[in-house]
Amino acid sequence: MKQWTRLTAATIVALVSLALAACSGGSNTGTATVATSNSHGTLIDTPPLRIASLNAADFAAELGASAAGTQLLQASGAPVCGVDFYYLQYWTLDGGQQPAPTTASGALMVPTGGAGCTGPRPIVLYAHGTTTDKSYNIANIADPTNPAYSESALIAAMYAAQGFIVVAPNYAGYDSSSLSYHPYLNANQQAGEMIDALTAARTALPKTFASATTDSGKLLLTGYSQGGYVALATMRALEAAHQSVTAAAPGSGPYALEAFGDLIFTGAVDLGSVVFAPLLTTSYQHAYGNIYSATTDIYSATYASGIDTLLPSTQSLSTIFTNNLLPQTALFDSTTPTINDLANASVPAPYQATLAAAMSVPTNPLFASGFGSPYLINNAYRINYVLDAASNPDNAFTPSWGLAATPPSINTFRKALYLNDLRQGPWLPSAPLLMCGGVNDPTVFFANSIIMGNYFAATAAADSINLPPNLITVLSVDPAGSNAPPTLLQQAFLGEEAAVSAAAGGGPAGQLAVIESYHGTLVPPLCAVAARGFFLQVLGGAG
Amino acid sequence: MNIKTLVKFAAPALCLLGLSAAQAADSTDSNGIYAGAYLVQFHSTASDLSGPYTIPGLNAGLDNVTTAYFAYIRRLSEHVDVELAAGDPPTTKTIGQGPATVGSVPFNGQTLITAKWLSPTALLEYKFMSDSDALRPYVGVGINHTVFYDRQVTLAGQHVTGGPTSLSLTPSTGLAATLGLSYRVDSHWYAHASYSVSNIHTTASADTAGLIRKTHIDFGPRAVVLAVGYTF
Repeated sequence: MKQWTRLTAATIVALVSLALAACSGGSNTGTATVATSNSHGTLIDTPPLRIASLNAADFAAELGASAAGTQLLQASGAPVCGVDFYYLQYWTLDGGQQPAPTTASGALMVPTGGAGCTGPRPIVLYAHGTTTDKSYNIANIADPTNPAYSESALIAAMYAAQGFIVVAPNYAGYDSSSLSYHPYLNANQQAGEMIDALTAARTALPKTFASATTDSGKLLLTGYSQGGYVALATMRALEAAHQSVTAAAPGSGPYALEAFGDLIFTGAVDLGSVVFAPLLTTSYQHAYGNIYSATTDIYSATYASGIDTLLPSTQSLSTIFTNNLLPQTALFDSTTPTINDLANASVPAPYQATLAAAMSVPTNPLFASGFGSPYLINNAYRINYVLDAASNPDNAFTPSWGLAATPPSINTFRKALYLNDLRQGPWLPSAPLLMCGGVNDPTVFFANSIIMGNYFAATAAADSINLPPNLITVLSVDPAGSNAPPTLLQQAFLGEEAAVSAAAGGGPAGQLAVIESYHGTLVPPLCAVAARGFFLQVLGGAG
Repeated sequence: MNIKTLVKFAAPALCLLGLSAAQAADSTDSNGIYAGAYLVQFHSTASDLSGPYTIPGLNAGLDNVTTAYFAYIRRLSEHVDVELAAGDPPTTKTIGQGPATVGSVPFNGQTLITAKWLSPTALLEYKFMSDSDALRPYVGVGINHTVFYDRQVTLAGQHVTGGPTSLSLTPSTGLAATLGLSYRVDSHWYAHASYSVSNIHTTASADTAGLIRKTHIDFGPRAVVLAVGYTF
């Protein structure tokens, strides 16, 4: 018997384990490269994550599986391209007084398939509408319960599945963004972020599975509601920087913020203003630091606590209402300012009765629903705002109670609206612009589009510029108030409007259903159709 | 179960049998080297893949493998051996199980991951009958330690996960058992056939652009070993 080194089992296992410990750190496929720079416009993960890949047939089948999807297909047409959905994360700047780097996320939708889907394709840079949902992620087409799903499906069907590359930021403050608030309607921040998302997407595109699809250099801007505002602000910023824009088609945006604010504070309260108000005051407090010393400066004691961090939220809007964190519609106190209140605010006697009447509860039932108790904004703040409007009137909005003789007053919130009003310039679009909306929009008044169009006309006239025909178009998909025969688009609107009303039983209930659906459901797909047709026309029909 | 635990359990077992390593070494050929084939069938179960952007129902299984088997067997007594066994690290394929496609990306039946794994096993074996018998059945229990390396997410796997993906698999330590037959060809040469079961479990984490998806896998491999050995 040969003598064998007596290794105990434990010793051998220990040695083997040591050897294996070295193996366990062995080769492995890598993941994305993470950017080391935090300069704005930097793509964080290269290549970006592809969330889903759908060919044209599968995308059509997915949309066709639901009533809403079927309706969308009727508007968009059948997909001719597959779509790859990528999740972008990028560096941008926040909305602070000294803008600092922050992260944000968004979608890159790349058409795939045959001719007309790959090769050089135009980019649609899309800005989404207001949402209170912090988890909003427009890239996540894989989850139909995702709050962004319907908007994601809309732009995918309308643009990406028709051969357009789509870039759509979720905005700083949403989804995985490291920012604790959202710079809502902060023109410089939001336009800057759109450009950052575009820069990141252009970096990402060649690194994706769909690298056969390339950027043709044609840039189309669109968006709806808040996104309409953001798209137009982006056009202004890009053209100011002498960067090429091919065309822009914002929809239903609050472009003329100061005039819009004046309308609301004098009683024309829009649907949704209880949500827009805290988003705006939080955004502008971060931007300017002077909107309030305490939230009670603006908000009633019922809602002031925590309202500066309330939105966007991980709670649903219905839960926010149920938990009494916001009123459902009562923006203002139904006990409106009295003559005594105005006297206490140093309003000269001749104007006190006029102003009190101007701030009374309107007869229009839609506007009247913006008054109640408990209410969101206190009377003292409302008076302060209206006095500013009276002493510094908006050019587009001449109140019937003309109070230019009232003592000069500055309301910092109104000043912020003024600074972010897209009439700040002066400027004129160089590329064709279509401003689409619905003339009876109860949420973002169509007056915004009309005022913006008038502003461009006035700016051109002041500089003796002859605007090319069709450079700027203001379009209502709702033919109400027009004597012209309805266009096909308007006929489609009337059909949808009638269907919504009928589904609610017609009559007053039907009218209410139309009002509730108008801004968020009825107009968006038709403005998207109008925008796509406009883009194709500008591109010469070549896509 | 770690190494200290193994020693803790193994030492009393040897004492109960009235043996010591020194006594066993002096009896007959104390050492044996074996080589052969390791036919591994996986009876894996895994939790559905979980994580962001992951649809329900995505699961995975493992392809069976055949690889080389090596063992060192230390005789402790007429009836007791200690076996240290390992296979040439096989490359296992993880196959998608679930829907035919994820979106429009093929999934079911696709090879998503390949990984090599080294899985040494220490067994305390009891041999029935006596040294004079050429054919002796035996049973054994022990411990298995498994580590995974050369982990690769295939291109098909990357299409499913959404991009280049790094993969980690936690090492596993678990119980093992064997049932076998030993046939003495002559005074030094033996043939072995055995059937072994092991308990291997790991948590797989896939990182795609910073997004982590996980699944817990219980392998439960059943291995048939056919080997020849030389003792000295």
